[in-house]
Amino acid sequence: MSNSFITQPARVHAIWMSRRRVLDKLRQNRFLMNSKTIGAFLILVPIALLVTLAPLLPLQAPLETNLMAMMLPPSLEHPFGTDRMGRDIFSRSLEGVKVSLQVGLSVAALALVMGMLLGTLAGFFGGIIDRAVMVIVDIFMAFPSLLLAIGLIAIMGTGLVPVVMAIAIADIPRFIRLQRSLVLGLRTRAYIDAARTVQASQFWLMTRHIVPNSLAPMLVAASISAANAILVEASLSFLGLGIMPPAPSLGNLIREGQLYMEQAWWISTLPGVVILLIAISFHFLSDGIRQALDPRSRK
Amino acid sequence: MIHQGEILAPLLDVRNLRTEFATDTGTVRAVDDASFSIMPGERIAVVGESGSGKSAMAMSILRLLVYPGRVVSGDVLLEGRNIAQLSERQLNQLRGRSVGTVFQDPMSSLDPVMRISKQMTAPIMRNLGMSYKQAYAEAVEWLRKVGIPDPERRITAFPFEMSGGMRQRVMIAMALSCRPKLLIADEPTTALDVTIQAQIVEILKTLTSEANTAMMFITHDLGLVARLADKVAVMYAGRIVEFATVGEIFSAPRHPYTQSLLRTIPSPTALNTSRLPQIPGLPPDMKKTLRGCAFRERCRAATEICAREAPELSHRGANHVAACWQPEGLGSSAIDAEPERALRRNDGPFRDRVIVEINNLNKHFTSSSFLSRASRNVIRAVNGVNLRVRQGETLGIVGESGCGKSTLARLLLGLERPCSGEIFTEGLTQMVFQDPASSFNPKMRIRNIIEEPLLVKGKGDWRTRQTRVEDLVKLVGLDPAHLDRFPGQLSGGQLQRIAVARALALEPSVVVADEPTSALDVSVRAQIINLLADLKQELGVAFVFISHDLLTVQYISDRIAVMYLGEVVEYGPADLVFNSPAHPYTKALIDAVPIPDPARESRRASAVLRGELPSPLNEISGCTFATRCPLATEQCRTEKPKLRQHRKSREAACHYAK
Repeated sequence: MSNSFITQPARVHAIWMSRRRVLDKLRQNRFLMNSKTIGAFLILVPIALLVTLAPLLPLQAPLETNLMAMMLPPSLEHPFGTDRMGRDIFSRSLEGVKVSLQVGLSVAALALVMGMLLGTLAGFFGGIIDRAVMVIVDIFMAFPSLLLAIGLIAIMGTGLVPVVMAIAIADIPRFIRLQRSLVLGLRTRAYIDAARTVQASQFWLMTRHIVPNSLAPMLVAASISAANAILVEASLSFLGLGIMPPAPSLGNLIREGQLYMEQAWWISTLPGVVILLIAISFHFLSDGIRQALDPRSRK
Repeated sequence: MIHQGEILAPLLDVRNLRTEFATDTGTVRAVDDASFSIMPGERIAVVGESGSGKSAMAMSILRLLVYPGRVVSGDVLLEGRNIAQLSERQLNQLRGRSVGTVFQDPMSSLDPVMRISKQMTAPIMRNLGMSYKQAYAEAVEWLRKVGIPDPERRITAFPFEMSGGMRQRVMIAMALSCRPKLLIADEPTTALDVTIQAQIVEILKTLTSEANTAMMFITHDLGLVARLADKVAVMYAGRIVEFATVGEIFSAPRHPYTQSLLRTIPSPTALNTSRLPQIPGLPPDMKKTLRGCAFRERCRAATEICAREAPELSHRGANHVAACWQPEGLGSSAIDAEPERALRRNDGPFRDRVIVEINNLNKHFTSSSFLSRASRNVIRAVNGVNLRVRQGETLGIVGESGCGKSTLARLLLGLERPCSGEIFTEGLTQMVFQDPASSFNPKMRIRNIIEEPLLVKGKGDWRTRQTRVEDLVKLVGLDPAHLDRFPGQLSGGQLQRIAVARALALEPSVVVADEPTSALDVSVRAQIINLLADLKQELGVAFVFISHDLLTVQYISDRIAVMYLGEVVEYGPADLVFNSPAHPYTKALIDAVPIPDPARESRRASAVLRGELPSPLNEISGCTFATRCPLATEQCRTEKPKLRQHRKSREAACHYAK
């Protein structure tokens, strides 16, 4: 009896201490406790929440028209106002953000995976593999990325998947280059030689040593690429090549609104501001990753 | 030193200097209450391990500290003027005209896109008010003085066209060309080979005594101190712990740290039958506020007063101060009380089992560019090498950088394929690398690092591997608690132990150690050398010990192979090669090594090996060493000497080997 009497507060104390330790760990985490990362999360988390909860919110559906409420300025009922067909721009913007995030994240993931794969192979093996990969990369990098994307969309047609493919293909060469240069620096490290002296396989060297040590800078590049992809998708949609109306995307929302700029500034401007916020937050995120992983940027 | 009956004012007077570096994990007190002075024409050596604050002190004197470092308190008086009160402009004048500086790394201290002429004339014109023409002539003259051949032509060169030794000469010429009264040199020869180091030291010595220039040079090499200094300041944990004339430091050191440090260096005369005395432990964490003496945890003479209060510098003689509570430091009794373990060497009849046999090994690198495939450059990194390693012996390989010793190591490990020749090995060959910082994957824990060879080879299940890893860590003298750390959390010495543990994981018959101690501090170096010597005895592993540090190689090796331009020029038992070298290159190499004994250093003839390693690109028809050899004759230039037997157990490749 006396035992439990003693252990009970001790246990409480232990739990409390372990919680404090978790908090301390969090406080020491250089990625999370970074002003840039916090900034990025302050923008991205509410936006992501709104996008996922949009169907539950008391909003007009994005494609629903209401001819009684055309071109209304922002109000409580329509936070971003309405367009010339009486559609709710806030609800359409959220739908557009969904598209933007899908494009940004898929492009970044695609570019990261392909860049890591081909860049590692080219940098690690060198020789004919390296030359073959790099010739293709150089050819792709000779095109302006927007023109390349337009050309690819002309072949593949419009819609979400072609847009993602088109932007990713323009981004992958840059990732291959980056990964290759990282690998060239890593493959002469003594720990690679150490593993070679025990006849570790090439696959072992690449997966255990090369990839983990090149992941950090590649993640920085991926978050910048996500921001870039969101902007390119918006540009393509603005040009009428990306997501086709009536399906909303931030780019085609701006395009639709630009004709009415003088009467209804909100149609173009507010989705534009949303693009800006998302792009900035991805850049913040990349800064956060870089600062967390780069020991030289310690304050 | 000058004592002409009159009282001279000191050239540099440092009083109670305190320098701190603010980092995100705490404030590092880099220099703690340092006071000393330099008289005109005096050469002062500042000795200490990395992190002891010696460079920070030099930077504070020059007011070159950058954020986050700052001078907290204390005064630096140069020719009676307090440098803290000078404007940036006055300070710039001072840095050129009164103080010259030479830094450690000759590769990064010259502007790579500027010709030598421009870099040298600019300060001369500014500080001495000369015209460009005069300054140019002056610069050529200085280049001649520092021993650059053909200075009229070389002055138009870019830094990348020069070798490291040549660049360091240019740095010295630049520093001295404005005729400063004080030269501050921060590890001026650390990045250079011994033969080049000997030349540079000679130049520094003659040029500073010619112009009566005072010199403050920072080094960790006690041999260099004996060769060059008048007075020595020994630093430990940011404090000057002993300051005395060079003779007294070496003959009658009073601080336990100096005493221990001097004993950790292998002596060239001793028979090396015992282990190196080592200083236990590591230097203290400079971020913590120290109570008491900073050295007490590694000091065998420490008493309770050492823990309570830090000792002040107090006189031990007219020109001798030391900061220790014990008047004699460790004293003779404490030194004798040290547990000594006999170091059994594989001397006498070597074990006869040859486990590595290298026959006529060649490795040539061809560099051909896309445009000029016709004009190929061939670098003969390893050229016709024959060597044998016997079971349980240590073969030392010495030579200057570029002699092919590291390529030989890579060939031995199978990291490079030979162009021709054969390597037979019995059992596994493993490696300990030079730089502990890059030998380990920074993303892996120590446990997984040591486990990796076992995992690759599929040795045992998880449980047996874990016990093996723990055994290995204990074998190299580390606490298994270190296993869950990352490489970045361990010190250089600890990492080198881990490297040894990893190399031993698969029970190899040969471990190749490529400069395993060159990145370590003197006090830690002895620990690693002793560890390797112990392991050789306990496990019967053969070591191939590659180094440019001749004293260490001589200490640890049973046999030595001396390499020059990809060839073995002498091979034989260590003591024999070291004490009566047969090849003139071996002799020159040994002569160039600074020995921590000022008496011996002053008696030594200053006949240093002239010139530098010739470019390995040129095809040499005769003896490769003929271009630098004092004995070279016509025969040497045309006929290549073969490695042949001299006396009983030694081979040398020289026509005139005695």
